[in-house]
Amino acid sequence: MNNPTIKRVAVLGAGVMGAQIAAHLANARVPVVLFDLAAKDGDPDAIVKKALDSLKKLKPAPLATRNVLPYIDIANYDQHLARLGECDLVIEAIAERLDWKKELYAKIVPHLAPSAILASNTSGLSLAALSAVMPESIRPRFCGIHFFNPPRYMHLVELIAAPDTQAVLLDGLETWLTMRLGKGVVRALDTPNFIANRIGVFSMLAVMHHTEAFGLGFDEVDALTGPLIGRPKSATYRTADVVGLDTLAHVVRTMQEALPEDPWHAHFQIPLWLSMLIEKGALGQKVGAGIYRKLGKEIQVLDLKLRDYRPSGGTVAEEVAAILKNRNPAERFAQLRASQHPQARFLWAIFRDLFHYAACHLAAIADNARDVDLALRWGFGWQLGPFETWQAAGWQAIAEAISDDIAAGKAMSTAPLPAWVSDGRGGVHAPEGSWSARRQGYVPRSALPVYRRQLFPERLVGEGGADWSTAGETLFANEGVRLWRLPEVDAGIGILSVISKNHTLGSEVLDGIQAAVRTAEEKLDGLVIWHPAPFAVGANLKQVLGAIQSGQWGLLEATVEKFQRTSQALKYAQLPVVAAVEGMALGGGCEFLMHCAKRVLALESYVGLVEAGVGLIPAGGGCKEFAVRAAQWAARSATPAEVFDYLQPVFQTIAMAKVAESALEAIDYGFAQPTDTVRFNAKEILHVALKEARALADAGFVPPLPARDIPVAGRTGIASFEMMLVNMKEGAMISAHDYRVAKAAAVALCGGEVETGCRVDEEWLLTIERREFMQLLRTPETQARIAHMMETGKPLRN
Amino acid sequence: MSKQIQDAYIVAAKRLPVAKKNGMFRYVRPDDMLAQAIRTVVAEVPQFDPARIGDVIVGCAMPEAEQGMNVARIGLLLAGLPVSVPGMTINRFCASGLQAVADAANQIRLGLADVMVAAGTESMTIMPQMMGNKVAMNPAVFSDENVGIAFGMGLTAENVAARWKVSREDQDAFALESHRRALAAIAAGHFKAEITPYPVREHLPDLATGEVKLREFVAENDEGPRADSSLEKLAKLKPVFHAKGSVTAGNSSQMSDGAAAVLLMSERALKETGATPLARFVGYAVAGVEPEIMGIGPIAAIPKVLAQTGVKQEELDWIELNEAFAAQSLAVIRELGLDPAKVNPLGGAIALGHPLGATGAIRTATVVHGLRRTSARYGMVTMCIGTGMGAAGVFERI
Repeated sequence: MNNPTIKRVAVLGAGVMGAQIAAHLANARVPVVLFDLAAKDGDPDAIVKKALDSLKKLKPAPLATRNVLPYIDIANYDQHLARLGECDLVIEAIAERLDWKKELYAKIVPHLAPSAILASNTSGLSLAALSAVMPESIRPRFCGIHFFNPPRYMHLVELIAAPDTQAVLLDGLETWLTMRLGKGVVRALDTPNFIANRIGVFSMLAVMHHTEAFGLGFDEVDALTGPLIGRPKSATYRTADVVGLDTLAHVVRTMQEALPEDPWHAHFQIPLWLSMLIEKGALGQKVGAGIYRKLGKEIQVLDLKLRDYRPSGGTVAEEVAAILKNRNPAERFAQLRASQHPQARFLWAIFRDLFHYAACHLAAIADNARDVDLALRWGFGWQLGPFETWQAAGWQAIAEAISDDIAAGKAMSTAPLPAWVSDGRGGVHAPEGSWSARRQGYVPRSALPVYRRQLFPERLVGEGGADWSTAGETLFANEGVRLWRLPEVDAGIGILSVISKNHTLGSEVLDGIQAAVRTAEEKLDGLVIWHPAPFAVGANLKQVLGAIQSGQWGLLEATVEKFQRTSQALKYAQLPVVAAVEGMALGGGCEFLMHCAKRVLALESYVGLVEAGVGLIPAGGGCKEFAVRAAQWAARSATPAEVFDYLQPVFQTIAMAKVAESALEAIDYGFAQPTDTVRFNAKEILHVALKEARALADAGFVPPLPARDIPVAGRTGIASFEMMLVNMKEGAMISAHDYRVAKAAAVALCGGEVETGCRVDEEWLLTIERREFMQLLRTPETQARIAHMMETGKPLRN
Repeated sequence: MSKQIQDAYIVAAKRLPVAKKNGMFRYVRPDDMLAQAIRTVVAEVPQFDPARIGDVIVGCAMPEAEQGMNVARIGLLLAGLPVSVPGMTINRFCASGLQAVADAANQIRLGLADVMVAAGTESMTIMPQMMGNKVAMNPAVFSDENVGIAFGMGLTAENVAARWKVSREDQDAFALESHRRALAAIAAGHFKAEITPYPVREHLPDLATGEVKLREFVAENDEGPRADSSLEKLAKLKPVFHAKGSVTAGNSSQMSDGAAAVLLMSERALKETGATPLARFVGYAVAGVEPEIMGIGPIAAIPKVLAQTGVKQEELDWIELNEAFAAQSLAVIRELGLDPAKVNPLGGAIALGHPLGATGAIRTATVVHGLRRTSARYGMVTMCIGTGMGAAGVFERI
């Protein structure tokens, strides 16, 4: 694999992007030196120090765990330039000013290591222009690496070659960015704003243009351009507020200056109202007011007719909502075009101009249509990119409609569609590859070895490819799970996938897992639990509530016990069980992964025992497992029988239903182990988990023995937890029922109301947690919490 | 002679039987033991109003965890004393319980209180390490002559044995005698008057049924004394603290759990309540010695308290000398010329156990009841103290 050796990275510029890029590198265990200007007065490192401080507060969190912060070294250009010599990659992320960048390059170039890569995180400046100011020796090692904000969470990185960049260097960086940082790399051509921003910002301008043309409200447009059309909840104008109106204006200005020949150039300006907002300092979320503002609890939106803010409440007309619910994209687009409703006409107009713009610029900005679609998916959070949306809606019908609108003067530009659009094709994505307007042919996916690690990569509309849910050879299946294998990868390792809706864990899933483990023990060498995110969102509350309402207490207790037996089956399976985790792994999902021999976690894993939210405690072996681990941790200490100290953080995690917000935090919380594997690219976890299971099997896996002779914290431990609870209750921080639930967790973690230091076994601990669970289940408050969660998806505080 | 405005009298002194570490009080909390001791001693004088208690002073050598959080106040509240009664925990390591008695007496002697409770409690079972839950030595200790602070008690006993030339044979013989006396005392019922039996309730897991089982029994006698001890067996034990030493587990005090309480009154309170005093508190002194030979502490403390009280050494009828180690006990006896017959007539800590901070209060109960039973006059409680101190208190039967 052409994975370059990058032992240390320097990031130049501790602004919002630079600091967050540094944080993500640190997340990935890449030591970083973060540079900025030396402060004029006082501590010369003050600027970087302040930036690091703000990393701790920023939401969503750039740091996957605070533990990585010390791995970002602090530096300034006055004192520490020599440290650049230690770095294999230098990422420049300073403000978008060509003159400043040139000045900085002149300063740093003499200090670069002979083979170091220099990359600019510029979001739109010409790499050719930047490269031109460098000594020739540096140019082959210079390129653009464009991260999207926030860099931890936005999957996209655009990789841009400068005129002299070595091809092998780009392959190496693509491999490293994909595997180490977990990014989705798209090769962009060196044109202003590259791919994602070029199309994405145009799309925003088109939305603004048509908002005004159809006389719609900003909140109304956001209701239309959000999840209903497969885009993020923040839709258009909320996104603008989040990005910052001044930043948006800056990007538009760049387009205006850099793209004089663009047929849409006349539209590269921000509306007057937006300039006025910026002038007034209403720059968006960062100052608390922009297109939206929050007044007390009320969200208000700017209304141009009123020239003032009003309560936000834009809705989608029933007629339009009905169209958008149509699952057939061809029909959906036909209906939008046919409708006279301004909202429908608006939607057609924004898609039409987006398609028009993308088609006209494909040859200039990207190698092929796949790069454009993936860039918009990964950089703007769209479910589908423009070309695949078009293709799904019926390529030719849409192409004709666009042409008609161009002819009728309805489109934003009169530029004709490129000839290839109307050559009778059915679209731009096909099994053999995606259309390249430059090369006038279909280009297959990258052959870089790193992509072989992605067994089920993200597929585009029309691209085809295996679907995980039907792939491979099925060994066992019921309503809840499928046990299958990929003989071409490893016929000896089974894959156990939960197939219930949202991957909730109902009775059929529990039966299925136990049966699958038995089957695997007979036929396989190892087992991987994998399915795309979420890993599991917990027990099937509908089944639970139904059983409560019909008073089936015996059945409920039997189900809880089945949960426990399922966990134990995973833990004591005669073959290694590896959990491949991505996304949410809550409640029972968390308990199952805790019981596996090993875990492979995608960085973006959200793991927690959240039962307290519905007035319950973990009873699928979760409390038991922590009680056992506390004893194991204590056994290594100077005070081997003192387990309480090890239970304290666990108790808080469970009582407060805290969720680890990354795989690294899951390790900190004890849900996962330091020896587990964390992969930053979620697409790799199946491949890696299969390898891990194989390695464990080949190493002669031996299952653990059921824990015995476990010292418990007992009555004194419970009382010590109650000391915390009584204070929280008296301080009106928790309710009487919160107290009861937390006490139950304390009892289960402390091994029941027995003397401190008594020795018990796993069965005892399972009995205690099951009893406490059942007692809570019988309380009206817990039942109310469960019902509320079912109805609203949110926890009830009672 | 110290000046005082009134005398302090001991009207009740009660202790729990002393348990071996991880023995019969394995699951009993030190605050519960303390509560039992306080409850019992107060109940000895049923005719007085407990709200009159000026303060409850409790000695504890390792006041943390289950015996932390000012265990005095927690213990007295658990004992059911009125909320108006205050409590404080004090620490002078092994003399803590005796110090509590002295401090309580001194409040009365100064006229600041008429009724006081002094007590001691210690569970060495719950103590995970001899130095407490968090070991955190000051580096300065190792800079020069202070290194003795870092010496374990056993090593200081080895130092004493070497300097005072106490042989292994003498130490073992002393230990065996301690067991013999203790067993005889138990058989004769000599501890009955001072011991309050403790009802133990243990909640234990029955792994077979998954139910919590309650095990109840009453602890009545000290657990430490060994009937099967012999010179041969003692001689076989290996030295614990020094490769070529003489101090063994057999000739050292036992680690134990225990508690005791003492009720003290002024003469005025005696009259008002009609309580009968057991003894008069005569005086108390502490003195410092080199930390690395801390066991000789009583050699400094005993003459000091005798000078202070005017009591002559030969007037002492009963001396409770805490047997931290046979080596230091013998060094003290020999150096001061104490009469071995009068020292620990009912056995000492080697047999009976030494629950650190509780010991002073426990042995106060032993001496005041012992003086009464034998109609003797003066008694003493004395001990060595870690980091190099000695303490001695004098009591007079009334």
